[in-house]
Amino acid sequence: MAYIEIKDLKRAYVMSKDVSVEALRGVSFSVDKGEFISVVGSSGSGKSTLLNILGGLDWEYTGDVIVDGENIKGSDPNFYRRYIVGTIFQQFHLIPSLNVEENILLPYKFSKRKGEDVNQRLEYILKMVGLEDRRKHLPKELSGGQAQRVAIGRALIDSPKIVLADEPTGNLDSKTGDSIISLLEDLNKKEELTIILVTHDQKIAKKTERIITLVDGKNV
Amino acid sequence: MFKYALDLVTRRKLRTMLTSLGITIAVMLMTFILFGMTDLETAILTQFNAVFKPTDLYVSSQEVRGFGASQSAPTKDAQEQKEEVIINDEIKTKIEEIDGVVDVHPMFVLTGFEVYLEGDDVAYPSSFVQAMDIVGDDEMFGSFIGDEVVLEDTGIFVSDYVPSYFEMSNEEILGKKIILKSSSTPAFIASSSRGGIDREYEFIVQGVVDTAGESFWINTSRALDILVEAGGFEDKDEYIELIGYSQLLVRTQEGKTTDVEEYMTEKLGLNVISTKTITDFISTLTSGLTIALIVFGSISALVASIGIINTMIMSIYEQTKEIGIIKAIGASNRQVLIIFLIQSGLIGLIGGVVGLGVTFGLMQLADPFLVDLLQEQGFTAIEKFFHFQSVNAIYITLGSILVGILAGIYPAMKAARLDPVKALRYE
Repeated sequence: MAYIEIKDLKRAYVMSKDVSVEALRGVSFSVDKGEFISVVGSSGSGKSTLLNILGGLDWEYTGDVIVDGENIKGSDPNFYRRYIVGTIFQQFHLIPSLNVEENILLPYKFSKRKGEDVNQRLEYILKMVGLEDRRKHLPKELSGGQAQRVAIGRALIDSPKIVLADEPTGNLDSKTGDSIISLLEDLNKKEELTIILVTHDQKIAKKTERIITLVDGKNV
Repeated sequence: MFKYALDLVTRRKLRTMLTSLGITIAVMLMTFILFGMTDLETAILTQFNAVFKPTDLYVSSQEVRGFGASQSAPTKDAQEQKEEVIINDEIKTKIEEIDGVVDVHPMFVLTGFEVYLEGDDVAYPSSFVQAMDIVGDDEMFGSFIGDEVVLEDTGIFVSDYVPSYFEMSNEEILGKKIILKSSSTPAFIASSSRGGIDREYEFIVQGVVDTAGESFWINTSRALDILVEAGGFEDKDEYIELIGYSQLLVRTQEGKTTDVEEYMTEKLGLNVISTKTITDFISTLTSGLTIALIVFGSISALVASIGIINTMIMSIYEQTKEIGIIKAIGASNRQVLIIFLIQSGLIGLIGGVVGLGVTFGLMQLADPFLVDLLQEQGFTAIEKFFHFQSVNAIYITLGSILVGILAGIYPAMKAARLDPVKALRYE
């Protein structure tokens, strides 16, 4: 049984009384536990909409998203976003006034997990993303690749089961982008994380185990 | 979450400071009102208690306007009786026999006289001449300047306003002559249908008393002589029988004051003013004034809260993307609401603490000048005007936080309801 099952996923945006746009028109696919897949498609194909739904940010859809046997529609959105998924954004979305450590630990401020060794987890994450010597640096003092590593660290701090990466290399040069993909590959192997990477770059997509292609809101 | 909210507040220092300024001004106003009024009441009561003892009762035959509302309510019979009561020796004896009474001092108020300093053609503006068997070092005075402490028949005590009016020192006026002239018909003469006689009475200044109010004091024996002569009465007994004493000062044992007051009011039908009656009246008056001023102060707090609402809404627009980020990483609507309420509460707290600090600083600077001013006005018992009132300081601080939180409710709800997808796309 697949770890993630997406069945006939549809999402329409009502623009006005008579106009609505169908961003997803029946997307269906599945992902196995520990699989590293990519979703590719041109602009307007529905990649971001799909990611928003999988990330628990958009709940106005029809169809089913089943994670580990449970339909996420029945789960608490905050719990789902805190503990099930970790999201990495193209623009990093770091808090400019917080340093590397504080940005990585930000999800912990909203988490209700008690009794965990936060420092031990932080050290592990910092080592994994290679930012041990940058821990006190502010985002403005980091390169694009380093900032994305902080964002990856933040996505991992609460030990999510799934990592969603929205164009993680989109704002990086190809060399740095490759290093980020290598990091995600490492995480996929070492942490047995299920990773769904959204990209429009076929070269990046080919580095993943499987490619889902979206065209006009449907997977082909 | 608190640390994160604190970070949001400190991140925009200038804006936080400017928004807090509204609260600071409101707090300064409130602090001056609350502390100032409390200190003013304390100052009045301190001075009052320095002059009047809480065990002293003042008995008169006429209702004293202004304090009537706080006096113990007499019965109808007592009220009817009260109108006819003349405070004569019989009443005085009855009072002396009440359990708890230490002694009774008759007092006269001489009306219808003009007061002159020898060699001066212009009458002193106030002609409030009292008669009482007192000595210069009596507890009722704040301080006394003069050699003779017993008020002789030809002697007079003057309040320290008198020498300053005549532009001389307290010492210079000692031994000077004061003349009382009955230039108009005294009230008691009109009521007793007796003809007034123009007379002059001379006194030597024996002492200067430092107390609130502009008064002259002569002894009762001489006062009675003057009242008998000026009013055309046969003798002192006739005057006391028909007109009576103006007032009696009844000194009571501690703990018996209320019983004595009730007895004189209800059984003897007398009007009694106790120190407590007056202090209660002062407290009521200052409390009423304080409430009225607080209402005005609240308007500035309202204006300050509008400033906070404006800042917080602006802050939402600036932090929209950040709200989207924290929601995407697991912050619930409730947590976003709390973060914004903490922010607005912190702005209120900063405004409150700064306001209190600035106000205390100003109070400390102003205190010596205020004390001098009050002492010049006769508040000689005042050594310090402003006092730190920790309870009021806590109320004001909590009030500032509350104003901040209340002002932050709407913006916080707006922030909490933001759609994370739209927030993340916001530029």
